[in-house]
Amino acid sequence: MNTSDTLECGHSLAELSAYLDTGQIADPVHVETCPECQAGLASLRHLSELGRELLSSDVAEAGSGTDDWMQSILDNLRLELRPGRSIPLQSGNPQDTLWETEGSISALIRSVADALPGTAAGKCRLHGDVTTPGADITVEVEIAVVYGHPMEERAAALRQELAETLAVQTELTIQAINITVTDVLEPPHPASPADATTEEQP
Amino acid sequence: MTEPMDVGAAAPASASAASADLGILAEQLLGVVQSVEGVSSVYPAQPLWQSIAGAVLSVVTGDTPALITLTDEAGVLAVKTRIAVGTSRPAPAVAREVAEAVRRHLLPRPAAVDVSVVKVGV
Ligand SMILES: [Zn+2]
Repeated sequence: MNTSDTLECGHSLAELSAYLDTGQIADPVHVETCPECQAGLASLRHLSELGRELLSSDVAEAGSGTDDWMQSILDNLRLELRPGRSIPLQSGNPQDTLWETEGSISALIRSVADALPGTAAGKCRLHGDVTTPGADITVEVEIAVVYGHPMEERAAALRQELAETLAVQTELTIQAINITVTDVLEPPHPASPADATTEEQP
Repeated sequence: MTEPMDVGAAAPASASAASADLGILAEQLLGVVQSVEGVSSVYPAQPLWQSIAGAVLSVVTGDTPALITLTDEAGVLAVKTRIAVGTSRPAPAVAREVAEAVRRHLLPRPAAVDVSVVKVGV
């Protein structure tokens, strides 16, 4: 594993992935108290569920996807699993400073997208100056969708749900939510080498 | 008498007494923060990989990472906490309520409360 795989807290997606499989990690107390590791685990769990559903390959093995779409999602996870910028919240007292981390909001966006059936979130970004109250913010979300799910409806439903969630959970001024379906995921070719999955695929 | 105290001898004792006070206070404040509806978890106030240099009077509650950091800054008590918020209530409102609850608990002592929401949702 190269160092770019490592989150700011020092853990890597590979370690988190191994933790999901084996329950073993050097520093379990850290993982329980690290929001980035928690968000990483939630995403990896979702990816491996989707992968088991879809693919013959072991998806999140060692934190490295074997398919391009999986690789792209993991690359985005590495980038986004960090506290990021501090987003100010209005406080009731001038002496107080209240914040949301950018990482908490991108993880929230990711969890909303991942909750849709047959959907995996890739890029989940906030564009614009989130550190200035009232600044115009654009949300960019990329999703991979399992073949057979209606994509237009899927994107519209997700846009609506994200708009509602972000209106409640943040004070950001959201100008637009841009959703791109980057991949349509299909079951593997039946001729793929024998693996864990032995079911016949049409 | 206006004779100044022997600062060299008195300072260590009063500093450790103040620090013990802050320790008790930090524990109380942890309870205050945890009891705000919508707070699902309290994370170490200082991310573990960051240095705590400068926080001379910072106090650790419990054995391991400090969940509430208290620093006396020229008579104003700086309180720092990082929280996770569930989806049952809006995170900004929960953050404000946490700050107000901490401030109320500390009255009449002046305080500056710093609340970071580091996780939203389940
Ligand atoms: Zn971590």
